[in-house]
Amino acid sequence: MVSRLAIILAVGLFAATAAKADQGITDTEILLGEVEPLTGPPALLGVAYNVGTKMAVAEANAAGGVAGRKLRVIVEDDGYVAARTIQSVKKLIDVDKVFALTSLSGSNGVAALPVVEKAGIPTMASIAPITPLYQPPRKNVFVVGQSYEEGMYQLVRYLARKHPGAKWGILTQNDDYGVALRAGFSHALKDGGINVVFEGEYKKGQQDFSSDILRARQAGTEVFMAGGVLAETVAMVREFEKLNSKPAIGMFWPGRVPVTLKLMGPAGEGIYAVDYVETDDSAAVKAFVERAKALVSEGEVKAINRYSLASYASTKVLIEAMRRCAKTLTWACTIAELEKTKGFETAVMGPISFGPGVRFSSQAVRIMRGDAASLTYKVTD
Amino acid sequence: MQYLVDLVVSGIAVGAIYGLVAMGFALIYKATGLVNFAQGEMAMVIAYIAWTIAGTVPGHPWLVVGGALVAALLLGLVIERLIMRPMLGEPVFATVMVTIALAVILRSLVLLVWDPYPHALDIGVGRDVIHFGGTGVRSAQVAVMATLLATCAVMWAFFRFSRIGKAMRAVAADERTAQLMGISAARIHAVAWVGSSLIAGIAGIFFALIYDVSPNLYHVGLKAFPATILGGLDSVLGSGLSGVVLGVAENLAGGYLAPSLKEITGFAVIIAVLMVRPFGLFGEREIERV
Amino acid sequence: MRSGHYKESVPSLIVLSDSTAVWVWGGILVLAMAMAPYFLNAYLLSFLVLILITGTGALGLHVLTGCTGLISLGHVGFLLLGAYAYAVPVAKFGAPPLIGFLSAGVVPALVSIVVGVPSLRLKGLYLAITTLAFAFIISHVVLSMSWLTNGARGLPVMRPELLGIDFESDARFAHLCLVVAVATLFAVLNIQRSRVGRAFVAVRDNDIAARTMGINLQAYKLRAFMTSAFISGIAGALFGIYLSFVSVEGFPFLMSIEALAILIVGGLGSTAGVVLGTVLIVLLPEVARIALGMLGPQAEMLFSTAAHELRTVLYGLVIILFLRFEPRGLVGVWRDVKRLWVNWPLRH
Repeated sequence: MVSRLAIILAVGLFAATAAKADQGITDTEILLGEVEPLTGPPALLGVAYNVGTKMAVAEANAAGGVAGRKLRVIVEDDGYVAARTIQSVKKLIDVDKVFALTSLSGSNGVAALPVVEKAGIPTMASIAPITPLYQPPRKNVFVVGQSYEEGMYQLVRYLARKHPGAKWGILTQNDDYGVALRAGFSHALKDGGINVVFEGEYKKGQQDFSSDILRARQAGTEVFMAGGVLAETVAMVREFEKLNSKPAIGMFWPGRVPVTLKLMGPAGEGIYAVDYVETDDSAAVKAFVERAKALVSEGEVKAINRYSLASYASTKVLIEAMRRCAKTLTWACTIAELEKTKGFETAVMGPISFGPGVRFSSQAVRIMRGDAASLTYKVTD
Repeated sequence: MQYLVDLVVSGIAVGAIYGLVAMGFALIYKATGLVNFAQGEMAMVIAYIAWTIAGTVPGHPWLVVGGALVAALLLGLVIERLIMRPMLGEPVFATVMVTIALAVILRSLVLLVWDPYPHALDIGVGRDVIHFGGTGVRSAQVAVMATLLATCAVMWAFFRFSRIGKAMRAVAADERTAQLMGISAARIHAVAWVGSSLIAGIAGIFFALIYDVSPNLYHVGLKAFPATILGGLDSVLGSGLSGVVLGVAENLAGGYLAPSLKEITGFAVIIAVLMVRPFGLFGEREIERV
Repeated sequence: MRSGHYKESVPSLIVLSDSTAVWVWGGILVLAMAMAPYFLNAYLLSFLVLILITGTGALGLHVLTGCTGLISLGHVGFLLLGAYAYAVPVAKFGAPPLIGFLSAGVVPALVSIVVGVPSLRLKGLYLAITTLAFAFIISHVVLSMSWLTNGARGLPVMRPELLGIDFESDARFAHLCLVVAVATLFAVLNIQRSRVGRAFVAVRDNDIAARTMGINLQAYKLRAFMTSAFISGIAGALFGIYLSFVSVEGFPFLMSIEALAILIVGGLGSTAGVVLGTVLIVLLPEVARIALGMLGPQAEMLFSTAAHELRTVLYGLVIILFLRFEPRGLVGVWRDVKRLWVNWPLRH
């Protein structure tokens, strides 16, 4: 009896906000929840992503909030570990009773999909827009961005036009990210005209790439796809520099942050990258950083990178849908409004659209090149 | 042929770092009989300190190295005095777990004090590429090979000639008898920790110069494990040499077999070696008496 | 209250427990846990499930490390194998979950022979590091056999239906975990009071003496490896189902260390310690979170992202402090409390 009482007491304590039909809405506040890695090396993207969410929320609050209430974000750290992602999502839904989720962490978010789908809570999952998050589409899970497959495909097509008849090399990580890149590469191969001389996979966490790059050079690689996340891509580029070998190198958006160029030094000049958010030297991003100075802390302004933009756009779409529901703010309404999103402009990426049965807003990608002097990426052609 | 030479040279270069870290493992094992699982983390912390000094007073490479080594010395002393010495007399298993917990703490501290972003350790030297024939090597890589040789020589002389070195060998052979002979085991442990921390610090700085400073740097400890086992946990010089052997082995495996094999080569090698020699290549065979 | 602990015959020496109080309280505890899913919210329930799964896995390691004294850093390898041995037949080939659970036990046990045989000559830390090497090699093999394991893509796993009972809901799944955990606990307790279990302890305490008493070291070490791998494999399968997704990423090396930490914090060699250690280690991050939260919202704002790192530091500190000040673990604390309760105000 005592234990039962204690349990009831505990539940009562945690459920202080009470379980109404539309949880997370009080008289003054609407709660949003976010799961992302804030510890360990993946914090690089998690922290930046969080800044974008904060920006979107701060701007909405400055404009009077949603339905006369202020928005507040509760952030959970999962350290990019699937078991903790599930727990964090459960905590946000059941204990904090948030109204919507603005992030489901990265590719490990797939593990939390059953929980989210069962709860029916409106969810944006835009850190790592991998296919299993939106294929098959789930009623309440929305993804803004572009798949690595498509990004790789576009980059390879572009470089194949630029370097006809070249010898290609590709090195990818042995995880789902690498698999996605590899799939995009195979897709591009089918279009023909690409002669692959080196294909390799490295173990996640590898730091020395001397043998891999030696092998790529030995095979006569002229165009190289560096499928690392960040430090790995840097290490690959610098190995080429050491060998005095200068192939055209392509990399992907997880590495498209200024720090990569800084680490590569002169070797990073002219490196090809692909992304769906605006470049750092664009007017939209410069304005974004200016606004950030007023809205978030100094440390957070420094943490801004492309993930902040991805998060900003994704969260803005969600807030817009909530605002359109206004007085009848419910999960069903928010999901319906999200679904109706057509050509929504955020300035930091192309227009965002969903539709019936479409839970993925496929953003157009652009090819850019690194500029070692200004540490920025510039759109090419 | 050029390909083989390139693979071997870059293998020696990365192996020299493994060798240094492995020597740190072996030094502590020899003196105290335990494996310090926080060796890679200590290297990382020192590398971060070096990076901080380099950022604060740019243009003084010797100040960076000197400051970082002083920090390494202090780190070793503090860990020994505050964390390891109270564990004297506890079972090996428990003490080893303490070093594992220490590793977890150091990893978080790095993120707490610094940030999760990778940084380049820029001290003005070490990043430039030198060409020997067709083989390109960074000058820091040449330096780390030389440093490994020098450290091996110093260690050899230390154990052969110095009073403390001999005392450490005595403690390693039989701690009880050594204490009866008037050797302070606690002081020997302190020397081992400081020495090991210094070597880890040197390895960390070189790693940061050749690659970068990042919260992943501690992986180098995991990579150096097989080297220590291969050489024999209690063989300091053997560990240094084995690091180089493993560096070359993993480059050859990555270069001629599958690139994905590179990272597990070391582990595969030690399993094979331990089948034949359960105490490593140069380790002392433990004879049990009933 | 009993006045003492008298053992007058061999059966009374090896009986599971001769105290009615232990049975009654144990029963109440199990009953409370069986009822808990109906009262807890999904978040608290996930802790219960994690405790049950982690406890099962830790019991597996306990057989090897606690009972037989063979230190293993490769625990996570067996968990991973178990998860895949369940997921591959069930999710890929549509086999019934019962077969999946069987293979989740048997496959790691068979692989453990491959790991165990070479390890027979090794001792102490050499063994620990060899098992660590095996854990890395196992994950490499799993990743490279993508025709069977889907490689880096991983395998999605549904909640099972066993013997006509659907374990889809969180509450039902918690019950499944509870049944498995209690069954494992009894199995381990019973092994310990059998001939095999006593041989394990003899090997741990002094292997040379054990050998002179006629215990075949090789055979018993292998048996310990296989038993441990079997139990860990089942726990791994449950963990995979809990994650709803089996991939190498879901089983980080840290799990090996966590399992060892559980044994140590609980009290090495004690089965009750495994239970106590599991509860403490699983709940520690949450307790730390609440403790930091008590400092007030300002403190939490101040730490902002740093709070998460602070929690990890706290986690390491607790382990160090335990080893330093209470090397007998939670079981030691429990015994002290019990003695104090019985004897107070006398000292003995």
